[in-house]
Amino acid sequence: MGDLFLPSVATILSQKEDTPDTRSYRLRFRDPDEHDAFSFRPGQFLELSVFGVGEAPFCLASSPTRKDAIEVTVKRTGKVTDALFALGPGDEVGLRGPCGNGFDVDAAAGSDLLFVAGGIGLPPLRGLIWNVLDERERFGDVTILYGARTPTDLVYKEELKQWEEEDGVTLHVTVDRAETGWSGNVGMVPTLFNLVELQSASTLAYVCGPPIMIKFVVQDLLMRGFAEERVISTLERMMQCGVGKCNHCSIGHLLVCRDGPVFNYRQIRGMVE
Amino acid sequence: MEHQAAQTIARVDLNQWLERLMEGSEVIAPTAGPGGDEIFTTLSSPDQLLWDFENPLHPPKHFMLPQTERLVSIRHENGHHQVTPVPDVVPRILFNLRSCDVKGMNFLHKMHASDLPDSAYLRRADKTTLVSLACVTPCPLGFCICCDAGPFLREGFDLQLTDLGERMLVEVGSEKGQALIQIADPLFQPATKEEYRQRLGLEEEARLGFEKETCHFGSAMRRISTGRVADDLWEAMGDWCQECGGCNFICPTCYCFSIQDLPEDEGWTRCRIWDSCQYPAFTLEASGHNPRERKGQRIWRRFFHKVSAQYYQRDGDVGCVGCGRCIKVCMGTTDMPAVVAAIRKGEWHG
Repeated sequence: MGDLFLPSVATILSQKEDTPDTRSYRLRFRDPDEHDAFSFRPGQFLELSVFGVGEAPFCLASSPTRKDAIEVTVKRTGKVTDALFALGPGDEVGLRGPCGNGFDVDAAAGSDLLFVAGGIGLPPLRGLIWNVLDERERFGDVTILYGARTPTDLVYKEELKQWEEEDGVTLHVTVDRAETGWSGNVGMVPTLFNLVELQSASTLAYVCGPPIMIKFVVQDLLMRGFAEERVISTLERMMQCGVGKCNHCSIGHLLVCRDGPVFNYRQIRGMVE
Repeated sequence: MEHQAAQTIARVDLNQWLERLMEGSEVIAPTAGPGGDEIFTTLSSPDQLLWDFENPLHPPKHFMLPQTERLVSIRHENGHHQVTPVPDVVPRILFNLRSCDVKGMNFLHKMHASDLPDSAYLRRADKTTLVSLACVTPCPLGFCICCDAGPFLREGFDLQLTDLGERMLVEVGSEKGQALIQIADPLFQPATKEEYRQRLGLEEEARLGFEKETCHFGSAMRRISTGRVADDLWEAMGDWCQECGGCNFICPTCYCFSIQDLPEDEGWTRCRIWDSCQYPAFTLEASGHNPRERKGQRIWRRFFHKVSAQYYQRDGDVGCVGCGRCIKVCMGTTDMPAVVAAIRKGEWHG
């Protein structure tokens, strides 16, 4: 039995600027055997540390079907992310995980899938999206609805184009405020529902984004006949240990880091806090 | 515990026993501190140990969960980081713990052994032996009787001592406890039926010594678990909370923590540091969003964790051992019995 709090050392392979304050890192465990043995579910997260500065939780943004690197997408927001932005290829970080429950990919097999994301809410869904696209025959139609405040704030701009070109994928992107050169949709994420036909009985909806977006998107989905169990989201709380001991991320008697972060809407509605 | 399994040792032989125990282990017990306060310290002589005491204000939990616990050593050499667990395996005997504190240790053990086992904690627990001294009189603020945490224990201890006057009765609760007797075997003899009957009598007397009005968890649990406590009541109690975290730090069952890298020598040490759910930053997210911004919400959190049926079902116990320390330490009187009474009655005294 390993020590719960002992991180492994990983090396940054490369980094990519997604937006002015958001960056994606590709990582590999320093020990090749450990890298090969690392397995996870989309929707799980890692405790990533900048040594000497601290640890913070980040969702795994890559798919378990692509094992060459582990990817995280990080918005520069606090002490650890500030320090992480000072690092680059070749530098080392600490990793613990995977933590949390993740998405039940097998349970989604055979269903049509709807992904609804706002802003930095796309990274937690990205791993699942690639997992689905890499095992395309296991799943039905895929619809991706994504929005951000401005075109600059959209993450994975190149991948959005790739996804759009895949067979059986419908993708719509919107921004709250257009910028020069933007010819796409303008409006909040729920306005994209008017552009798609959804079969609520056969579709699983994955929703991730700011709380206010989740609230309106879930309302919309329920109105369109989605059962509460078929609306799935990932919750955020201030997490510290990631292993269900420190109690920072409690909601009622549940711990986001152990019982979640993935919950369906029926579970979320029953939460006491 | 059958009386046949119980042993006795003469009072005059206790120091000799303690000396033998101190040869192989750190022995930690209540002693008189520099200012006269009762305090848990590592004995350098058996004479330091108190036999007649109430209970130190600080419970012995910091021997299992140090306020700053070194978990991982981080070194940066030749361009690479080395991370290694920090070993901590000193054999320890915690001697003359009150029943409530043993129950607190049992609670902490359960929390760290369940779900994902915390091996750093369990290694330490494995090397720690708990010797309790049963309470023959209730302490002034104690309400252990409401939490199945005293005055005498049926389980959870390695050894339980009962003061019979000239002799001390010793009940064995585990192999670790049995080993402490074997270290000084000739000093012990099996308890007689009469001695065991005397112990039962002392327990009965202690149980009857509690005042009528104690801490009624049952009805508070029903209300808090079903959301039948008005938000205004939590806010009213929140006004009295000073956000000092004292209730958490002196509570034998509180274990919330944060993780920080502290600079040390040529690198850093990743540490587990006590934290408090009553601090505003406990739930503050990097984005600036704080789901428990108000003191009332944080008081709710503390008592939901300790008293709700949701947690009772998960943990098998209320998160309180009735030691009464929060009554002593809380400047705002938002201690366990006061809050439980407020929940039951639907009104706050403030």
